[in-house]
Amino acid sequence: MATAPSSSGPFFGIREENQNQMRILHSSTPTSSTGAPIDPTPLPPKKKRNQPGTPNPDAEVVALSPKTLMATNRFICEVCNKGFQREQNLQLHRRGHNLPWKLKQKTTKEVKKKVYLCPEPTCVHHDPSRALGDLTGIKKHYSRKHGEKKWKCDKCSKRYAVQSDWKAHSKTCGTREYRCDCGTLFSRRDSFITHRAFCDALAQETARQPPPLNSIGSHLYGSSNYMSLGLSQVGTQVSSIQDHNKNQTGEVLKLGGGGSSSSRFDHFLQFGPQQQQQSMVSPPGFVMQESNQIFNQEHQPQPGLLGNNKSFQGLMPFPENNSNSTSSAPSAAGLFNLSFLSNSGNNGGADYNLTYSGLLMSDNFNNDNGGNGGSGNEASDLFSNNSMSDQITSNIPSLFSSSVQNNNMVPQMSATALLQKAAQMGSSSSNKNNSNNEDSLLRSFGTSSSTGTKTSNFGSIFGETTAGNNLHELMNSIASGTGNSSFFGSSSGVNTFNTYANRTSMEHENPSTLLPPQQQSLNVSGGGSDSLTRDFLGVGQIVRSMSGGAKQQQQQQQGIGLSSLSSERNTNITAPTSNQSFVGRGNFQ
Amino acid sequence: MFQDESSSVTSSSSPLQVFSMMSLSPNLGSPYPWLRELKSEERGLYLIHLLLTCANHVANGSLENANIALEQISQLASPDGDTMQRMAAYFTEALADRILKAWPGLHKALNSTRITLVSEEILVRKLFFELFPFLKVAFVLTNQAVIEAMEGEKMVHIIDLNAAEPAQWVALIQALSARPEGPPHLRITGIHQQKEVLDQMAHRLTEEAEKLDLPFQFNPVVSKLENLDVEKLRVKTGEALAISSVLQLHSFLASDDEPHRKKSPLGSKNLNGIHLQRALQMNQGTFGELLEKDTVNGYSPSPDSTSSSPLSSTGSVKMDSFLNALWGLSPKLMVVTEQDSNHNGSTLMERLLESLYSYAALFDCSESTVSRTSLERLKVEKMLFGEEIKNIIACEGAERKERHEKLEKWIQRLDLAGFGNVPLSYYGMLHARRLLQGYNCDGYKMKEENGCVVICWQDRPLFSVSAWRCRK
Repeated sequence: MATAPSSSGPFFGIREENQNQMRILHSSTPTSSTGAPIDPTPLPPKKKRNQPGTPNPDAEVVALSPKTLMATNRFICEVCNKGFQREQNLQLHRRGHNLPWKLKQKTTKEVKKKVYLCPEPTCVHHDPSRALGDLTGIKKHYSRKHGEKKWKCDKCSKRYAVQSDWKAHSKTCGTREYRCDCGTLFSRRDSFITHRAFCDALAQETARQPPPLNSIGSHLYGSSNYMSLGLSQVGTQVSSIQDHNKNQTGEVLKLGGGGSSSSRFDHFLQFGPQQQQQSMVSPPGFVMQESNQIFNQEHQPQPGLLGNNKSFQGLMPFPENNSNSTSSAPSAAGLFNLSFLSNSGNNGGADYNLTYSGLLMSDNFNNDNGGNGGSGNEASDLFSNNSMSDQITSNIPSLFSSSVQNNNMVPQMSATALLQKAAQMGSSSSNKNNSNNEDSLLRSFGTSSSTGTKTSNFGSIFGETTAGNNLHELMNSIASGTGNSSFFGSSSGVNTFNTYANRTSMEHENPSTLLPPQQQSLNVSGGGSDSLTRDFLGVGQIVRSMSGGAKQQQQQQQGIGLSSLSSERNTNITAPTSNQSFVGRGNFQ
Repeated sequence: MFQDESSSVTSSSSPLQVFSMMSLSPNLGSPYPWLRELKSEERGLYLIHLLLTCANHVANGSLENANIALEQISQLASPDGDTMQRMAAYFTEALADRILKAWPGLHKALNSTRITLVSEEILVRKLFFELFPFLKVAFVLTNQAVIEAMEGEKMVHIIDLNAAEPAQWVALIQALSARPEGPPHLRITGIHQQKEVLDQMAHRLTEEAEKLDLPFQFNPVVSKLENLDVEKLRVKTGEALAISSVLQLHSFLASDDEPHRKKSPLGSKNLNGIHLQRALQMNQGTFGELLEKDTVNGYSPSPDSTSSSPLSSTGSVKMDSFLNALWGLSPKLMVVTEQDSNHNGSTLMERLLESLYSYAALFDCSESTVSRTSLERLKVEKMLFGEEIKNIIACEGAERKERHEKLEKWIQRLDLAGFGNVPLSYYGMLHARRLLQGYNCDGYKMKEENGCVVICWQDRPLFSVSAWRCRK
């Protein structure tokens, strides 16, 4: 068993259980062997499984001497001393001598089944309960296990006790090669197997093992937040993990059996999740803190401009809501959501108010937005409203600063969770957009309706702010601005935003621009990258096709206009250095 | 406008697809400095967005845009990053491959030196077996079903449609040799393309059988499954036959565009479908044709799809004849393990969305079980998941083998082929469950569905195991 390739490891554990189950299964059937009265030695309790050779309890137990067993010809003709292996053959032979002969008839009554003991006292098959079922079997067994290996292979000098084994081997010896995955060739199977045992072990050690350091690295990466909080603790934990890792190669084999190994493994595995939880819990805390601070710093001075604190506070709980609804969204999600949500408005257009009407924040902005998606005028109204832009700008830094905190924490989100989140974001806008909801994804998440309500939270917060068609485009760019700030993890994010904010304010000072708000915002968000702006257009195309309606055409045109305009705009606004020049002006708070 | 039409027909507004249409383009500076600063989650979401955008472009045939998206993804994706980065790396590769296939010459030239090392492939299968519980669970359930079905049988013959992993049969040999009624004569017929694989298997199994004194014979059949000669299986009268198929049957769903294929309801909407199909078959490479072609592939059902109407669920001729051949062997038991996903959708977008979900789950599995730096993990992800993704996304027609379908489809199909469902036993499931628990990872779950078992990562079904008997 020691030579068995590791891959079969798990099965060994399972097999034992299989047997247990088997016995339970069969003990109810009448033919069961266990517990039958004849069985001289009931299986001791520690024995977990039936061993090979458990005989039929009704069988007659035959014990033959080694000599008889080894005798090639047990049945001897008394005339010519010729020996035969089978009595039938002897009888036929006797017929030739004209001796009385008698072939055994196929008896009508059932022959009593015989089982045979191995004469070797130390052998498991010496015990009547473990007798083997047929004569040839016991003969071969005795020769193989306890006999002399008389037959030697000329080619590889492997020895056999049973001639037929030797013959079988000789036929194939040298014709086969045994190739290990590591590339080594063997001509003998036994050396191959021996090699494999080590090679497998080695391979597993190195491959599954590179971890100690690296896996920790990844954990560190995944949750450096936690590390910063309690490095020393982690250090010890880490070292214990290393140990577990070392054990792991061995343990993995037993995993199937569960039991002892699982507890260790358990520890090992828990590490990840624990950490994740930790890191996911803490960032929101940071967010709240930071945002509050900034709220105080930046908003108190100019409450009038802001319009109302409520709106801001309405924004802040957002990360929390978000993490509730997606179950694992770290705080950063909040930031990011902003952009998506504003975009969702993008697709929404006309239906927008339907979904989002009567939501939390709507009151704050209804006045401004007039509640329907729309015209450039409304948007410009909004822009002319300082409170609006101020509010936005003040949000950004706060988000930004909190995201700086998060920057190192990198709460790791599983791909599944990300997809779910993406789908959720999508569904919140698809509810508005598209009657065609037969999609399986919706069903699979069972959130087609619930996401509507869940996301309406977001919607309520951002929906109103972005209600206008153009405005929401603006929000797009703002959103990406926020994304940016967190992306950059440095003041540059703010800068871009500031440029943007300045931009908008400048823009609405030129009321003559009808295309404007949208494009400008787009351009700013484009941040000077040609390709992205184009991609944006590509997306715009889809948006167009998705949402249908008159507005779309407007968008389309603007989109096209954008493509032509974008290049110059970009150069104007977002030359890398220009950001900084704007920073100076960014202090409109 | 063209796109408007196509999207109004098919824009199966999945939330994800809508997500792709949200414009969340953060500012990009040309060298994309910020991209590397992205936090995992933001990057992940952005990657999803980009992937979907890119796929949309590919489906619409707007290669320029697809190219831009691909470039952006390549800034973010990485085969050794976090889960979404890894996934994205393989999905982009697949999308790019799909684009490339429009120029067969180019595609072939680029792949001309590509060597598929069989030994590597086998190694990867083995790694998948070792690192993940899925195959083990399948094996445990299969073996238990075999043991129960073969109770009291003296001559047991097992056909393994993909004889690559001896561990399953080693376990079975051990279990059978310990049968209360004594071991049966066991014959295992293993089918595999590679002789060496079968040889190894034979060694391993004969060794085990010898050790346990179980009368055993291994019958190697070196053949591709699709070219299998049933005669070679040497099924004899009087023996009890069990067939084990692990992740094999779905490839029989692949079929060329055959004229007598049943038309799916969606297909009829495709007015110039025949013309487009021809364009697809001829695989010409002009841009205009590419556009047409990818419209077919992207937003209208591809001709060989079997997924959209119930009638066509057994539509594949190859599948029918293969199942019929198996049925003709009168197996006492057939255990079928399949990927429990819907990757045989008619359109590219359908398949992309579905496979995003399932492979996200698989990549999450590997994230939770194997360290990021593990070379083995990389191999499995690249050579197994990555190749499957590529096949699902980039291939069409007979080339597209990875046509994973949901359990209900298999139930329907096997039922129509004359097989009756055999509920998996309580004990089998008990073992399987215990095995999963042994991984001590909350993510792995097992569900029973009408006597069949579905193995999940979290709530996402990934593999199904079902047992069948010949219904005469």
